[in-house]
Amino acid sequence: MNRALPLVILAMTILAFATMLLVVVPRAQIGSEPPAAGLRAYSPEELRGRAQYMSLGCVYCHSQQPRTPDQAPDGERGWGRPSVAADYAYDSPHLMGTMRTGPDLLNVGARLPSTAWHLTHLYRPRAIAPWSIMPSYPFLFEIKDHAAPGDTVVWLPREQRVAGKVVVARPEAMALVAYLLSLDRTYPAPASAIRDDGYSRVGGKP
Amino acid sequence: MTDPGHTATETESPRDQRKGRGLPRSIYALGGGLLLFALVMLVRDDILLRSGPSTPAPQDNGAIAFTPPPMSSIPNGPAGASIRHGMAIFENTATEARAFVGNGLACRSCHLDAGRKADSAPMWAAWVSYPQYRAKNKKMNSMEDRLNGCFSYSMNGQDSPSGGPPPKGDPIYTDLEAYFHWLASNAPTGAKLKGAGFPKLKLSSLGYDRDRGRAVYAQHCASCHGDDGQGRRDLNGRQVFPPLWGANSYNWGAGMAQINNAAGFIKANMPLGAGNSLTDQQAWDAAAWIDSQERPKDPRQKGSVQDNAAAFHEGEKTFYGKTIDNHLLGTGTSPKPRL
Amino acid sequence: MSEHPLADEAFEPYEPRRPVPLPVYWMAIALALWGAVTLWNDSTAQSSGVGQRLAEAGDMTRRHSAAGADLFAQRCATCHQADGAGVAGAVPPLQGSRFLGANPQLVVQILLHGINGPIAVGGDRFDGHMPAFGSVLDDGQIARLVTHLRATWGNGGEVDAAFVKAQRQATRERHASWNGGADLVSLDPAVGPQPAFLSAPPAPSDSVAMALARGGKAGGWACAACHGAAGEGRSGVPRLAGLPADYIAQALLAFSTGTRASDIMGPIARQLDGPERVGLGRLYATMASASRARPELDGDLARGATLALQGDDRRDVPSCFSCHGPSGFGVAPIVPAIAAQQPAYTAGRLAALGRHGKDDAGAAVMPSVAARLSDADRRAVADYLATLPPSPAIDTDTKDAR
Repeated sequence: MNRALPLVILAMTILAFATMLLVVVPRAQIGSEPPAAGLRAYSPEELRGRAQYMSLGCVYCHSQQPRTPDQAPDGERGWGRPSVAADYAYDSPHLMGTMRTGPDLLNVGARLPSTAWHLTHLYRPRAIAPWSIMPSYPFLFEIKDHAAPGDTVVWLPREQRVAGKVVVARPEAMALVAYLLSLDRTYPAPASAIRDDGYSRVGGKP
Repeated sequence: MTDPGHTATETESPRDQRKGRGLPRSIYALGGGLLLFALVMLVRDDILLRSGPSTPAPQDNGAIAFTPPPMSSIPNGPAGASIRHGMAIFENTATEARAFVGNGLACRSCHLDAGRKADSAPMWAAWVSYPQYRAKNKKMNSMEDRLNGCFSYSMNGQDSPSGGPPPKGDPIYTDLEAYFHWLASNAPTGAKLKGAGFPKLKLSSLGYDRDRGRAVYAQHCASCHGDDGQGRRDLNGRQVFPPLWGANSYNWGAGMAQINNAAGFIKANMPLGAGNSLTDQQAWDAAAWIDSQERPKDPRQKGSVQDNAAAFHEGEKTFYGKTIDNHLLGTGTSPKPRL
Repeated sequence: MSEHPLADEAFEPYEPRRPVPLPVYWMAIALALWGAVTLWNDSTAQSSGVGQRLAEAGDMTRRHSAAGADLFAQRCATCHQADGAGVAGAVPPLQGSRFLGANPQLVVQILLHGINGPIAVGGDRFDGHMPAFGSVLDDGQIARLVTHLRATWGNGGEVDAAFVKAQRQATRERHASWNGGADLVSLDPAVGPQPAFLSAPPAPSDSVAMALARGGKAGGWACAACHGAAGEGRSGVPRLAGLPADYIAQALLAFSTGTRASDIMGPIARQLDGPERVGLGRLYATMASASRARPELDGDLARGATLALQGDDRRDVPSCFSCHGPSGFGVAPIVPAIAAQQPAYTAGRLAALGRHGKDDAGAAVMPSVAARLSDADRRAVADYLATLPPSPAIDTDTKDAR
């Protein structure tokens, strides 16, 4: 191989340029973003649920980053306003996700605030929407003869119940639902936040 | 060993050839790049400009489009106060002209958007076409005369507390006229304005039919105006959707009681927010259903309904004086107890 | 020893240098220039966007501290009219009203809690349904509003935020509106003789519907779990309190048959039978609860107010209030209340109606109107409606009969 040195220098320059644009500059822009007013830290229960969310791989199908109206009608779908850096102040690591196989979950706690609904949905998504492609998570639940005091019984449509048995949520399921209900970024975005305005502001007010 | 011919052409000559040519070559490269950039930008702007808002299409039959001034441009001072009061009368007629209104309507019930909307007899178009000769009363009408007619017929002044329209010279007329005058700011006088009056619909060979109209009404009108045509009130008892017939609606002398006028209004404006969604035939039929219901009597009536029909309703498209379901239309309704 | 060229073991293969063709340079330079211009444009747009947002936030603060006259124009004039004349037979006038007389306590209390019952003003009797502003206006705003009212139609006298705060504190236990004039006479006898308050038709003690709303059907999901204990809704979940009973029952029917598509409401509505739908409708229609809606969609409130109050004639959009009633309280039986509705729900519903067209019998006209609204317009109008006071509870028995 001849002229190895220029090749190495060129490769390193490209790498340095990319690191600069993708790591250094963004860090300088939003690395020290304070939590948005209205955002609260996760409780220990919610953090346990967050761990469940990660270990079950929810992030492979669910994003947590609504887009601007220019890119997609996420707002119309009820997923909330475009997210800003301050929304993720307590998320380490963030769970923004890349795949949008399922709906965005950044505001699911505001959209679906019912624990009972989430438990049914996690136990058997097809009980709610027959066309749903979400996997069910039966191992987060227990099938018992009788609910013990303090147990949360999962409601199922009449035709899907097992006679004489009840489905009871395990603590993992309760923690996961607590985490989902904590996902609520419906407070107004800080006015000074860096965000993607799409094309609407180029050349004036939309 | 080495091939002398090979080396001579390939290793030596390029460097030699490029010697002294670097500068012109970079100038060519830079110049060409700038030229290309400028060219692309020009082409892009040209396309953007061409796809921009197109010039408005030429107006048909010489009618001029007109837009009334925005509400925010009402002046301050005494003139503005008169304009504002005129607008208040227009929107809230039964309160601001309480003594002269004998039903549940307001001016804006038929002149939508506070008299601004084209094709619902906008007041900016009316202002520039008066004084005008009208066959209805066979004389030259000033705007005040015309408004007097509105209060007599559309607002059913005969059942009002005072028993008639506002007397000549009443400040109600002045303030309404001030409002109309302001709405018509910068409108040409006497010219034909686009959207004046109600649209005139051609009647097909099917004519109009109240039984077909009943079906149209049930499907498209009844959810707001009610099966009984009495409109709807909000929880405070304020009329939100106007009554279309009965004691609380316009009387038999009103222009809206003529089927052609009602059909034009319906076609262009109803259902509210979805104007021009009904076919002409549906508009004619719905109008026939609405205008074949009993309503307050014609205030001009002296003798019998038949005499009055001959005197004032000759040649009109109306159900006045016709008998439907054994009931002579035009007999009138007994006035509603006052609130 | 062969003279064959291949035999040259020392020969290193190489690529001959050929100059890069000029057109490639041209393209590269043009692209680089384009990139630079785009970056520069974007950065100015970005900074102007931030500047604009900061300015808007400032505007919002200023609007929040708007003078009493502005507050009156935005919140009161739809019913009491700009000149305070009221509406004959429906809304009491403010001109010459004794309620604006000597004691500012009375006006503050009416604004805080609203009125629900017959009232006599200026010799006329009114049904008296006034919304409670306590949940949508803060102490300072109420003080400025009352000062404006007293200066314009009362006998002057300024009211400050501390006074309003004390008044709010004094009646913080009160959750219902004032029971018409009879109740207000006890606060200030100066308002003159008032019609007797015939005991309010008891909020329908439909224990079946109540149990459904609080506990769900057969251990299923409860209405209250998402819509709130008082039907006030949250974010994308609509407010139900004060919607017409028939509208709620119709919507539940549409959900159960699938004409109005919803993965959440569908399975719930399918569990309900006719009487349960009607019972739930009546339950929520008679519920009076404070507003929990706040603007949250970055909508332009001024534009929203224009759309709601006047519409947009250029786009052939009629004003919201021309059908949903002055102040957006709805018109029984089928036109829903829109005041104090959760903005995310309003905007999402408008978008769905505009996109999918007619999805239930009630909304015959909305699809074509909604289709003419832009995304910014939908957010603007949804945010504006969230700033309005909630509709007073609808007394279904008497109002549906009208």
